[in-house]
Amino acid sequence: MDLLTFLDQNLSRTFFLLWEHVWLVALSLVIAMCIGVPLGVLITKKKELAQKVLGGANIIMTVPSIALFGLMLPVLALVGHGLGKVPAVIALVLYSLLPIIRNTYIAIKNVDPALVDAGKGMGMTKWQLLREVEIPLAVPVILAGLKTAAVMNIGIAAIAAYVGAGGLGVFIQQGIARSHEAMILTGALGVSLLAVFVDLGMSSLERLLTPKGLKI
Amino acid sequence: MQKKVSCCVVAIALVCACLLVPDSLLAQDKKITIGGKNFTEQYILPELAKLLLEKHGFDVELRTGVGTAIARQSLENKQIDMYFEYTGTAYTVFYNQEDIAIMTDPVKVYEWVKEADAEKGLVWLDPVDFNNTYTIMMRKEDSEQLGVKSISDFGRHVEKKPDDITFALEAEFWERPDGFRALMELYEFQMPVRAVKRMDMGLTYLALRNNQVTSAMGFATDGRIAAFDLVNLDDDKNFFPVYNPAPVVRKEVLDKHPEIREILKPLAENLDTDSMQRLNADVDVEHKDVTSVAKQWLKDKKLL
Amino acid sequence: MSTTTKGYRFFLLALFFIMGIGAERVGLIEYYSDPWEQEYVLFLVRQHLHLVLISMGMAIVTGLAAGIFVSRKKFKKYAGIVMYVIGLGQTIPSLAVLAIVMSFLGIGSKPAIFALFIYSTLPIARNTLAGILSVSPAIIDAAKGIGMTPRKILFQIELPNAMNVILTGIRVALVINIGTAALGYLIGAGGLGDLIFTGINLMQTDKLLAGALPVILLALIGDYLIELIGVIIIPKGIRLAD
Repeated sequence: MDLLTFLDQNLSRTFFLLWEHVWLVALSLVIAMCIGVPLGVLITKKKELAQKVLGGANIIMTVPSIALFGLMLPVLALVGHGLGKVPAVIALVLYSLLPIIRNTYIAIKNVDPALVDAGKGMGMTKWQLLREVEIPLAVPVILAGLKTAAVMNIGIAAIAAYVGAGGLGVFIQQGIARSHEAMILTGALGVSLLAVFVDLGMSSLERLLTPKGLKI
Repeated sequence: MQKKVSCCVVAIALVCACLLVPDSLLAQDKKITIGGKNFTEQYILPELAKLLLEKHGFDVELRTGVGTAIARQSLENKQIDMYFEYTGTAYTVFYNQEDIAIMTDPVKVYEWVKEADAEKGLVWLDPVDFNNTYTIMMRKEDSEQLGVKSISDFGRHVEKKPDDITFALEAEFWERPDGFRALMELYEFQMPVRAVKRMDMGLTYLALRNNQVTSAMGFATDGRIAAFDLVNLDDDKNFFPVYNPAPVVRKEVLDKHPEIREILKPLAENLDTDSMQRLNADVDVEHKDVTSVAKQWLKDKKLL
Repeated sequence: MSTTTKGYRFFLLALFFIMGIGAERVGLIEYYSDPWEQEYVLFLVRQHLHLVLISMGMAIVTGLAAGIFVSRKKFKKYAGIVMYVIGLGQTIPSLAVLAIVMSFLGIGSKPAIFALFIYSTLPIARNTLAGILSVSPAIIDAAKGIGMTPRKILFQIELPNAMNVILTGIRVALVINIGTAALGYLIGAGGLGDLIFTGINLMQTDKLLAGALPVILLALIGDYLIELIGVIIIPKGIRLAD
């Protein structure tokens, strides 16, 4: 059976799995942003924490994803969520933290001190400075971190199919089990295209959102 | 201002994300979750059950593709409402029984597990007629060339020439009490550990077809056996129990919807070894879609 | 490596010790004490390393060569495109690469090694190219000025200066390689993935951890080793300048 025939017969299932996949990645990115951006901002103000937080997130990155799933499953099984989307989302959030925290930290640190001074000269409070000077200038770099996390998560979510999370990895898993080449390729090419598409899309978004001043 | 907007956006995003969760976590009245293991037949059986139940107004969710242990645990933990289990598997794996007189008699083993599980609040519905036993496979040419037709022949050959034979299996078959280690004990041969290759579900057929191993484990009703020109070795010492599948349902679910028994009965009455093999072959060899294969069969039998 | 990072690593070792107690509760110590299982785990570790080392060896050679090649004057104008394409290639998920290679090359360790090789070459090539291109033109001019041949410039100026970036690429590639090799089991290549996936499928936590922990350890050790190599082979002057 060739790829096109398979797609033709399984279009709705393909879209459903694609949707599941995107949902897993998007949800974990949102959660990681809620945790990571404030943390990133926090450690720019408290330098002692910076090394520890970044180092910790770095260690998580060194752990291969399937091993992290392996560690989490027995713990989560105790609360009845051994398999499924819960361990997947938790792992995805953990992996997203480093790029997001690190990029937030670097972005805010690299804001030109002259601009911060100008802001202070204009009488801005610390909060105002953050909101109107530091964060807007930091947005492109933070977005770059988000892009890294998104692409990485698409890959890890594919593996998460093996712990029952759904998504396009299911095609890869079932395809291999059933010696169904078209299914394997649909899954594999599907996640690949998704990753490339998201990467290109977010790069464009980065360019769009870079304040015009910085682009000069 | 910017901060307020971004906070609102995040909050809305989170709420939307929760609402659009693909698994419907909201309890519904006529909702059934069917589990399934990770080989072809266990994708087809739940699909057949799903179509029949949906015809009678049920909302069915499938959670297939897991190992035996997980399926069983999910049932016991109430994460799923039913799945198709095999009498032999329940007898040997869940209850660790070894009585050959019982396990080779389809009726006796069914009654035994039905009684045992009733105490756990699990109800065995009508069993389906075919026997999806484990099988030891070889390529047809090899089997003829080496004169190995039964597992006893196999064992003798391994003892004589241990370097000749490699065997591919799935991890579950190695670990189970009705698995390879116990089989070697009964047939009195010992394959060197290095010769046993563990691989993930489904790869054993490929490995055997590609000549990467000389023998492999499979499921008797899998369509790939015929398609890849493989043969099943005869279980002359009757090591394997009978494996008849039956829907195993949680008692609370059955009490709430007793009609489930009648709805699923046609499967037991109409599905035999030939039919199951053909369905498996349609999916595994013809690569037809599981849902359409199931639907077609039900239509042919005037059940849909 | 700063003291804080060293201290952190020590803290991690202490954490492992505490986790060891937890591991005992879950049957992991019992698992590792079984001599048959010990032999099997070692066998899997050897298989895993076999996958990693061969693919990394090939990837380092190919990646360095490719990176150096594109950085040469003749091809420099393609550097941008090459980096872009490699960048896109790196977004492709590891499992997808394994699955696609399996569709064409079948199952077993050889297809897995090939997939790992392709996947690991990308970061190394990219970083080699980026590293060499980032060497200050002033230094190269000075070298030309004292009459160095392009070959000498490559080996005595460009590569040593780029070594930091190159080693980072190798480090990243190695860690990803070790993790992806665990997925090799899914296409019949063996390795520690055997224990991990078997543990998941059979709900046997001891097996799962028995496979997951060595993979994590290998990744951490690999990461550390490359950093160590960096400290050793990068001349102090260049290291301090970074």
